[in-house]
Amino acid sequence: MSAVTDLAVKGAALAAAAAGDFSGLPIHNPSVECASRERIRAIQLAGLIEQVAWTYARVPWYRARMDERGVSPADIKTLEDVRKLPFTDKSVLRETFPYGLFAVPLDEVVELHASSGTTGKPIVVGYNAHDMDLWADCIMRLVQMAGVVPGDRAQMAFGYGMFTGGFGLHYGLQKLGCMMIPAGSGNTERHIAMIEDYGTTVLVATPSYALHMCEVGERLGFNWEASTLRVGLFGGEPCPPGLKTEIERRMHIVCTDNYGLTEVMGPGVSGECLASRDMQHIAEDHFLWEVVDPETGDPVPDGEMGELVLTPLGKQAIPVLRYRTHDLTRVITEPCACGRTTARMQKVRSRSDDMLIIRGTNVFPSQVEDVLAGIEGVTPHYRIVVDNEGGLDRMTVHAELKPEAFSDSFEEMEALRRAIAERLKGVLLVGVNVRLVEPGGIERTTGKAKHVEDRRTSAT
Amino acid sequence: MSVRQISVFLESRPGHLRRVLDAFVAADVSVRGYCASDTGDYGIVRFVVDDPERAMGVLKNMGAAATASEVLCLRLADEPGELARVMGVMADCGVNVTYSYSLISTFIVLSVKDLARAEELLAGEPVELVGQEELAEPLASTDGR
Repeated sequence: MSAVTDLAVKGAALAAAAAGDFSGLPIHNPSVECASRERIRAIQLAGLIEQVAWTYARVPWYRARMDERGVSPADIKTLEDVRKLPFTDKSVLRETFPYGLFAVPLDEVVELHASSGTTGKPIVVGYNAHDMDLWADCIMRLVQMAGVVPGDRAQMAFGYGMFTGGFGLHYGLQKLGCMMIPAGSGNTERHIAMIEDYGTTVLVATPSYALHMCEVGERLGFNWEASTLRVGLFGGEPCPPGLKTEIERRMHIVCTDNYGLTEVMGPGVSGECLASRDMQHIAEDHFLWEVVDPETGDPVPDGEMGELVLTPLGKQAIPVLRYRTHDLTRVITEPCACGRTTARMQKVRSRSDDMLIIRGTNVFPSQVEDVLAGIEGVTPHYRIVVDNEGGLDRMTVHAELKPEAFSDSFEEMEALRRAIAERLKGVLLVGVNVRLVEPGGIERTTGKAKHVEDRRTSAT
Repeated sequence: MSVRQISVFLESRPGHLRRVLDAFVAADVSVRGYCASDTGDYGIVRFVVDDPERAMGVLKNMGAAATASEVLCLRLADEPGELARVMGVMADCGVNVTYSYSLISTFIVLSVKDLARAEELLAGEPVELVGQEELAEPLASTDGR
């Protein structure tokens, strides 16, 4: 029996991974993904030199910034020379809306995507045929890390539209040879019926929506263990480890999550393999990564936490140099047990800009997530509301009660509430209110889950 | 002899109790008594209904946090001093009532820690314990509607 047939068996990929055997899991492009570090750096340097020349010649905005700094493409001789280049922030893409950073004529652009603009104009990005191939290549890598094989039936629960997640995964999976079921977002019961009717084997969703689907299915009496569904591909929002484990257990599937952002391409920048589940392999031939101090922009020591900065290599329609992701991570370059040698970034759990300052103390929503994941009586869903009472910041964590944790006793409910509050205080080093809400009381989303509501006025 | 009480965890916000009651109506579950108490943010609403199994099914379907437990149910005579008399019996038996509420007509529910012992103690006392079946019968007049 070939490795491919093995993988198509539900549970086979996870069982192999548990046994420490990754030989049966496909690697899409071993010539890059398993190359020596020297070889990878050489590929990156060639890509960087070409990318900077391409960008300087075709994008007036970058040419002006580089000229101001007295940097020309000829100054890029080593990978470290990337530090001579200007950073790109989201605001640049907004100021040049819609086509200001495009490097190719519009008749060469085959697709536009945009990231949701919560304030003002959205961020618009374009792709030519070459970029679309590059994107699909990235997707094919990460889906195979989870054991997806040609012939799989992949059901899309992301919205399509301008958001990169839907079409990005769609094209890559299709190119790999999967049958796409473009269900789109919403209508959970219909999604479950489609899994049953069409024999879906792969689900593409946000982790919070997958959990919602799991809960609805359980309520309807759907047998996840007996279903054809085998793999969950998660994206669109960070996936806390506890949530993923819970989904794997209850839906009887293997789940990996991947990382990417519209500004540099979309999903596909990096993906989780089954050997190191807290990390994601970066498609290093397509993205040059740096980790910098978010305050100063200077590189942090190897392997330390900082802000991820990405320069796509070979992306033609809209090249961006040194994009500030605001995502906090660390990157390691040791070879992985899965056989890959590409650098691994720790999964992004917090952003330099989602840090909350509560009465002078720095608080990340991911810390709240971790505390709740360790408490029996509540689900992984939560919400943080910050407001101001009498000049003092007040943070309230809404935690969702699990139905089975309810005991008809105020003492026990209050004990649970106090236990959560104490644990949070121990980790956050600042006192918070805890509010217990009904099961299902925290809204499930198909897009990025909104965990924080800051009601404080900007006036201080 | 005891009756089954159903407790539901509800946020203290408009519409949350109503959602449960609407679901009971849709499933033909008749509420025979209830009490709702709160801590500010959330409350526990306790119901005595004609068909506890069906009511639990309804709540499970809704994904609600609900649990069932056994409580004593006593029928009182509708005359002055009766409640004091019955609570006096409880006190004399040394049974602590953790909480209590009244149902339709002159039924009251008593929650106690050790149900079996309380039943035993009350067996010889001048109080009338009521079972689940009796609660299914219509009792209150609809004249005042």
